[in-house]
Amino acid sequence: MNVQTPTLGIGLFQPIVSKLTRHSSGLVVAMVVLFSAVFLYGAFTAPNFMTLFNLKTVIRDAALVGIMAIGLTFVTLSGNFFLLSMKETAALCIIAFATAMSAGYGFEISFLFSMVIAIAAGVLQGLLIGLGGNPIVVTLGAAGLFFGIGSFWSDNLVVSFRRPHGAEWLGTGSFLGLPNITVAFIVIAIVAELALRYTNFGRQVYLIGANRAAGRATGHENLSMAIKVCTIASVCSAFVAIAFAAQVSSAHVNYFSSSFGSSGDMTILVIATVMVGGNSIMGGYGSTIRSSLGALFISAVDNMMVLHDFNSGPRVLAVGLMIVFSIIVFALINRGRRVQE
Amino acid sequence: MEPLIKLTNIRRNFGAIQALRGVDFEIGAGEVIGLVGENGAGKSTLVKIISGFDNGYSGEYSFQGKSVRFTNPGKAESAGIAIAQQELSLIPTMTVAENIFLTGHNVPVFSTRRSLAKRTRPYLDEVGLTDVDPLTKVERLSVGEQHLVEVARLIAHDPKVLVLDEPTAALGESDSIRILEMVTRLAERGKSIIYVSHRLDEIFKVCNRITVLRDGESQATKRADSLNVDLLVELMLGRELSNMFPPRNSGSQAPQVLMKVRNLWPDGLVEPLDFDIRVGEILGLAGQLGCGSGEILGAIAGAHQTRSGQLTMDGQDFLPNRPKQAIAKKIGYCSENRKHDGLFLGRPIFENLTSPALETISRHGWNFGNLEKQTAHTIGESFTVDVSRLTAEAGVLSGGNQQKVALGKWLAISPKIILVNEPTRGVDVGAKAEIYQKLRDLADGGAAVVVASTDMLEISNLPDRILTFYRGMQVGEARQSDISMAGILKQITDPFDEAGL
Repeated sequence: MNVQTPTLGIGLFQPIVSKLTRHSSGLVVAMVVLFSAVFLYGAFTAPNFMTLFNLKTVIRDAALVGIMAIGLTFVTLSGNFFLLSMKETAALCIIAFATAMSAGYGFEISFLFSMVIAIAAGVLQGLLIGLGGNPIVVTLGAAGLFFGIGSFWSDNLVVSFRRPHGAEWLGTGSFLGLPNITVAFIVIAIVAELALRYTNFGRQVYLIGANRAAGRATGHENLSMAIKVCTIASVCSAFVAIAFAAQVSSAHVNYFSSSFGSSGDMTILVIATVMVGGNSIMGGYGSTIRSSLGALFISAVDNMMVLHDFNSGPRVLAVGLMIVFSIIVFALINRGRRVQE
Repeated sequence: MEPLIKLTNIRRNFGAIQALRGVDFEIGAGEVIGLVGENGAGKSTLVKIISGFDNGYSGEYSFQGKSVRFTNPGKAESAGIAIAQQELSLIPTMTVAENIFLTGHNVPVFSTRRSLAKRTRPYLDEVGLTDVDPLTKVERLSVGEQHLVEVARLIAHDPKVLVLDEPTAALGESDSIRILEMVTRLAERGKSIIYVSHRLDEIFKVCNRITVLRDGESQATKRADSLNVDLLVELMLGRELSNMFPPRNSGSQAPQVLMKVRNLWPDGLVEPLDFDIRVGEILGLAGQLGCGSGEILGAIAGAHQTRSGQLTMDGQDFLPNRPKQAIAKKIGYCSENRKHDGLFLGRPIFENLTSPALETISRHGWNFGNLEKQTAHTIGESFTVDVSRLTAEAGVLSGGNQQKVALGKWLAISPKIILVNEPTRGVDVGAKAEIYQKLRDLADGGAAVVVASTDMLEISNLPDRILTFYRGMQVGEARQSDISMAGILKQITDPFDEAGL
């Protein structure tokens, strides 16, 4: 039945293709064909889309959202839905990082300081969710709290630190011709996928996500799981915040709320990325590779539209349509195949 | 005589599952037909088709000589076929009279409670509720009386055929007797009754003829007086009883105690209890639904709340309050609902089989699949799960194979004690025998197996020793050859001679 695919890259596509051909309801095939046609047409007619330089741009643009989406994927796969506090955690951490940097503590100390805050934020949310709190309520509350602390701390002002600083390598440096943030994205994507596939922790994520009651009955409890996955998501948020601050040498609580990417709101964009990748919202099925590819995909469509001279309105709409599209396609592919629990 | 209802070659598929594959059934006027079969044999599907709840069948359904197809229960009811289901459809806060005339059928538009009560009387008398005031609220009646009110409500529509689906499943003995008396009385007045029950003693008391369903097929309908319990059981199982259950452990009289259970008081029981679990034996906890035996297993496994208690094993005292702690002591537990907490339906079978033992299939937290594959293969083979399907999702398996996986996963922790609630619910006959054999093998291998079951056949034939429970308390204990179905039945339904038999 299920095809075991050990290789990472093909791992996503082969099952999808075989599922498409096996459960080829006319609607699914029509939607996929239509979308592919539009995408390919756009790709071939866009000036400079199919160049190596542009490919690198696409990946770099996908990196920040992609890293956060990878973190959030752990939460979703483990059946704990979403953290609605992704961008607020990032906001708090970017303020912490920039404040420490501007106070002259250097990159390492500032990085650790920011990460400690992220871990505390993750543990707090995970604890409340693991003890039975509703993830939406808990993380919405946490979002308000973190954003409030960040605003209060920074007095709602831009916190900037002078160049040159110790974080330049992360923000603007490159390695083997790739921006370091792209390298970080690729490394994190690979590590996350390996952890999910080949560690006991990864297995527990899937088991608890697939059936929390059975997970508990076999000794895998959601309390420790919720704490772990929320911490992972928060740490990914903090990493993105630090990388972003390193790029622009400044911080503001609103950096992730407005004019970020094409859809404006980082949390929504990250959740969209997880869903465009085709991960099960209820948990138990999916992978971080899916989220990574989802980020690349959104970034590619966005990039293509920029090259076609679309302004931000249609691009936001396109991201919205992609979410709807992928939800419908994945729901149709999975319908009737997966047993009701 | 022309039969009132005649079903010929009824088939019903749910997806790939054939619930009914060629059932013939008939009932004549004034006749009581017993419909028996194991869980999953197709009884409820058949009853649903007869009473119009299920319209997706193929085959011939004729009523009073005419071919019919009821597309909804209302149509069947107006034609004269009424069904009393296991779940009551009464409104607890309304009076008996109001419930009986709930639909407003046969009642003037304006009527007083008193006039309603007067109209209710004959129906109550007919079902034997002569001493019940029609103006009593339904919630103040016993469950048995509520069942009788439900039947009275059906009789008010003057049906020709009455279907009773397990009317006594939740009742004590004295209430059951009232139901049986009512059945006999109604039959004398010319009603035809289809009586579905697990309790074979009742079937023999009230039924003229008996139809047995097995794996979705009907066996030839026989006269009740031409059968006895053993023959009926063989018809239900499709094989001799002695082939179904492995022989009991004939070892020493008092094997070594593995775990002492002291002062255990799980929520749902009325008093704390003490018992021992012994090496190499299958211990049975017998009782009806709600007797508390399942809660005892859950409490030992840390899955159910308990007020007090102490478990002693290998000289250590403990009381798990989470399954994880019990698993660490090598105690495995299968609840009665495998889909809820026994299986990860959407995950591959091999992941299910190794789920409680991730530490043993991995090295330093890493699992590259080799050890896991081995473990899953070993378990799969020993539980006769098709090992070529180990990567398939557990949800695609049949009920029997799912149960094998749910049970088999505990082999991965090399268990000392396996606790199983309802080991064969929704499992076909073949898989049942395999599961019984496997439980016996586990016990022979030095583990202790504790089984709680409401299935009389199972509980009286599988265990070496049984404890009987009645309404949240332990009422008896029996060993080996002292175990008899009649004795157990008496203890779990009427231990204090309240029914006055």
